[in-house]
Amino acid sequence: MTRRAMGQTVMVLIIAAMIIVPFFLPSEQWLNLVSLILIWALFAIGFDLVFGVTGMLSFGHAALFGTGGYTLTVLMLSYQIGFLPGLIAAALTGALLAFGLGLFALRVSGLFFALLTLALAQMMYILASNKLRALTGGLDGIPGVPRPDLFGIDFYENRNYYGFIVVVFLIGLAIMALLRASPFGRALRAIQANDTRAAQLGYNVHALRQSAFVVSGAYAGVAGALLASLMFYISPQMLHWSTSGDVLIMTVLGGKGTLLGPILGVAVFELLKEELSRATQYWYGILGLIFIFATIFLRNGIAGLFHGQDDRDDGGSS
Amino acid sequence: MSTIIIGLSLSFLLFLLSAGLTLIFGMLGVINFAHGALYMLGAYTSFQIVQMTGSFWLGLLFAPVIIAGLGALIEILALKQVYSRDHIFQLLLTFGLILVIDDATKLIWGLDYKQVPTPDFLSGPVSLFGSQISSYRLFVIGFGAAVSFGLFVLLDRSKWGMIIRAASSDPDMARTLGIDVNRVRTGVFALGSYLAALGGVIAAPLVPIELGMGFSVIIDCFIVVIIGGLGNIRGAIFASLLLGMTRAAGYTYATEWVELLTFALLIGTLMFRPAGLFSYKGRTA
Amino acid sequence: MKRRNFLQTAGAAALVTTLPAPMLRARTAEEFHIAAILAFSGAYGLIGNDMRKGAELAVAKRGGMVLGKPIRFTWEDDETKPQPAVQKASRLLAEGAQMMFGAVSSASTLALQSLSTQRKVPHLVTISADDAITKRDGAPYSFRTSNTLGMEVNMSMEFVKSRGLKKIYAVTADYQATRSGFEQFAELAKAAGVEIVGNDYAPLGNRDFSVIIDKMARSDADGIAVMATGNDGITFVKQAAQIDLGKEKVIFGPVLQDDVFAAATGPAALGVNSGVRYHYSVDNPANKAFVEAYREAHGAFPSSFAGEAYDGLSWWLDVVEETDSWDVDAWVEAFANSVYEDSVEGRKEMRACDHQASQVGLWGEVVRGEAPMPELTMKITEIFPAERLFDSC
Repeated sequence: MTRRAMGQTVMVLIIAAMIIVPFFLPSEQWLNLVSLILIWALFAIGFDLVFGVTGMLSFGHAALFGTGGYTLTVLMLSYQIGFLPGLIAAALTGALLAFGLGLFALRVSGLFFALLTLALAQMMYILASNKLRALTGGLDGIPGVPRPDLFGIDFYENRNYYGFIVVVFLIGLAIMALLRASPFGRALRAIQANDTRAAQLGYNVHALRQSAFVVSGAYAGVAGALLASLMFYISPQMLHWSTSGDVLIMTVLGGKGTLLGPILGVAVFELLKEELSRATQYWYGILGLIFIFATIFLRNGIAGLFHGQDDRDDGGSS
Repeated sequence: MSTIIIGLSLSFLLFLLSAGLTLIFGMLGVINFAHGALYMLGAYTSFQIVQMTGSFWLGLLFAPVIIAGLGALIEILALKQVYSRDHIFQLLLTFGLILVIDDATKLIWGLDYKQVPTPDFLSGPVSLFGSQISSYRLFVIGFGAAVSFGLFVLLDRSKWGMIIRAASSDPDMARTLGIDVNRVRTGVFALGSYLAALGGVIAAPLVPIELGMGFSVIIDCFIVVIIGGLGNIRGAIFASLLLGMTRAAGYTYATEWVELLTFALLIGTLMFRPAGLFSYKGRTA
Repeated sequence: MKRRNFLQTAGAAALVTTLPAPMLRARTAEEFHIAAILAFSGAYGLIGNDMRKGAELAVAKRGGMVLGKPIRFTWEDDETKPQPAVQKASRLLAEGAQMMFGAVSSASTLALQSLSTQRKVPHLVTISADDAITKRDGAPYSFRTSNTLGMEVNMSMEFVKSRGLKKIYAVTADYQATRSGFEQFAELAKAAGVEIVGNDYAPLGNRDFSVIIDKMARSDADGIAVMATGNDGITFVKQAAQIDLGKEKVIFGPVLQDDVFAAATGPAALGVNSGVRYHYSVDNPANKAFVEAYREAHGAFPSSFAGEAYDGLSWWLDVVEETDSWDVDAWVEAFANSVYEDSVEGRKEMRACDHQASQVGLWGEVVRGEAPMPELTMKITEIFPAERLFDSC
């Protein structure tokens, strides 16, 4: 087996173990943590499509994440719509909003794109905290977000909801794996490597970028909806640019451009957060230091440790 | 009329806050996310100096210099390692820096809020145009104008400016001409940090000095820089004036809409000039 | 004996018939585990530490025990954000915590409250002032022992009347709680014949009030009402002082200043009036004992955050001890109908209809303090009786 294949297998095993273990432990501690990890991992996988594969640094994904959460919350609480339709609606609003943001932001590229997505998302945060407070509950948020009510299973039992999250996560993972391996995925990587040449080869660079953004919006929306239900609560904090920053840290830490890397990145980030915050009040600073080291020395993140450092800045491969 | 003067003070304060960010981007191609954190450090350092010496002016003199030194250190230890790589890595690094600087500040100064009183000389109001205007704000206008003029002279008219611009537009050529590009880069980052900290010192008598203060200004700085065009001092001045005056008008007539007005301005600019009002061609990435 | 047996049997019945989550806590535990989720970083990071000191003293006062078992705190930082609050609280509840204590910001507190309703876990609030936290027939397991914004606004209007102020210009933080606060104030003003000559909404986190302050200076108002707190309040007071606004007009606010905020504002705070949640100078035996203990432990006077935390937790633990059982519903029932005569603020009575403690209201002015008091401190100028501030259930 090649080093890469071996590394990938190990990562798959680790992730599988992480998912399976909570089913067998009686206490709910790991359950809670892994539920959170899987939801953020879904978010990160979608984010990486735009960041790692297509090479666009977006600071606006928090807006998509939060909008998904609010969509579910408002539909379920105000309109008595069921969870599954709500989840689909969350995906759709995430995708639509991504499309809208893309219309503005995709006119520029690179660092300017990053700043622009930051500003646009922050504007949405302000709208949600303020002007739209009748809809969003303002800064205090909306408590009492319900769990699904399906097939007679009590999803208020955290173990059952965890199972639901695992199913959604695996579906999302499978779809992303397919996308990345497909011609669509290859075209995106070509754009990251050299967009002028990609255009010359006949690819519609703008449409492809837009599509990647839209897909990642759907992922973010679903993740946001799942999180709101997990917490029984949603607030504009989910739309704040620091949330975008968090998913960026997780993705880079895990290994941008890889499929499984971001999942590990999320896991490490959340674990570090839990353990470090118990040990010291300066955990965020230590996390920052770790992040800086990872940026300098681990250019492919944790995934890079598993399957060798990749010198190509072309978005890597899955 | 007093609204116009206040608008000017808002504008120059914004400019002082954003100048460092735009400089570092323009000359180094790095978006320094830690800009807000350096601003915060400038304010805390000025507090420390005021505690120890009782003089705001000593703080104004020395605090930015200390932070410039820190900036140089950061550039040498961390940023240099990632220059050869994609711009994104530099941005990520400065992002990680925010977290480190924030907690380091918490470690050194603790959680409680600090305050710097308005310097005695400038603590009273001045009667102008039928209104009472704070003399400190008039100082901000004058100081801000002086700094913008100074920066302009430095970058556009002096030898140093020429070296900096040469090193940023064509580092290889500059090297062959004997310019130590590495030193220039360190210098520019230090200058940008100096300006960020200067913003902090000037803002200190106006706002509470606390750990979240960097976060609260950074968005404004980004907006000024986006509207003005990345890397463009002239653009930053103009954008600061535009934003400051718009805000002053907003506070006068429709305070609930001030935040959204800011973003409307941003979107409006971007619809017509996606790369900012004063962007140079080819400077989009 | 009979009562205890009955309660234990009831607890056992609950064990068999109810959902797993409450089951964990209905039986006797080896320790009394308090999940304390407070802000130790972020905008209100300063407050969490003070609350911790107050809470720890409350526990120390009873020898660290309740119901014959040791009390254990787990302190978690919510970073002044609701998501970490819920995340950490959930984890602690899964580990078997008997109750939640927190948070600081109203948003986090409301989030915890939602969790407390879901999981049927008692929840004690000793600082967040948002009126929404204690609504009529609201969260059944959640209680607040500290001030509400509503009572602070009431006191503000009483202050206006007592000073004979006739025209008020207000600035309001654009946040739902403060907006409602202003609306309440405006209604009271109308009833009292006081004119509101202007009101400006400033975005939360506003750093520059100069235009608004200028408008205020040029108006004919004799009083300035500041419906804002925390950073916004501090920034406003600092900047108002730069044109000596306070010299001509009286600056006040329901939750504008206290010892902590005054220290953060600096000399600009002198002369500002505000509602005060708790103050070390209030003269009663319980408070004197607390202040002495606090000064010995920490070398400083307790802030309002420490005082309220100490008071609320002491009251709650006293009630729990009296029920002599580990049945959560018994605790909740008892607390909802309890009266605390040993409060550091005199006497507090829990209202069963909305789980808010009715209590006296303190109003004060920022003055220079003489050593050993802090440099800038509140002088309590009036103590409003509870009946003036709370209507009956």
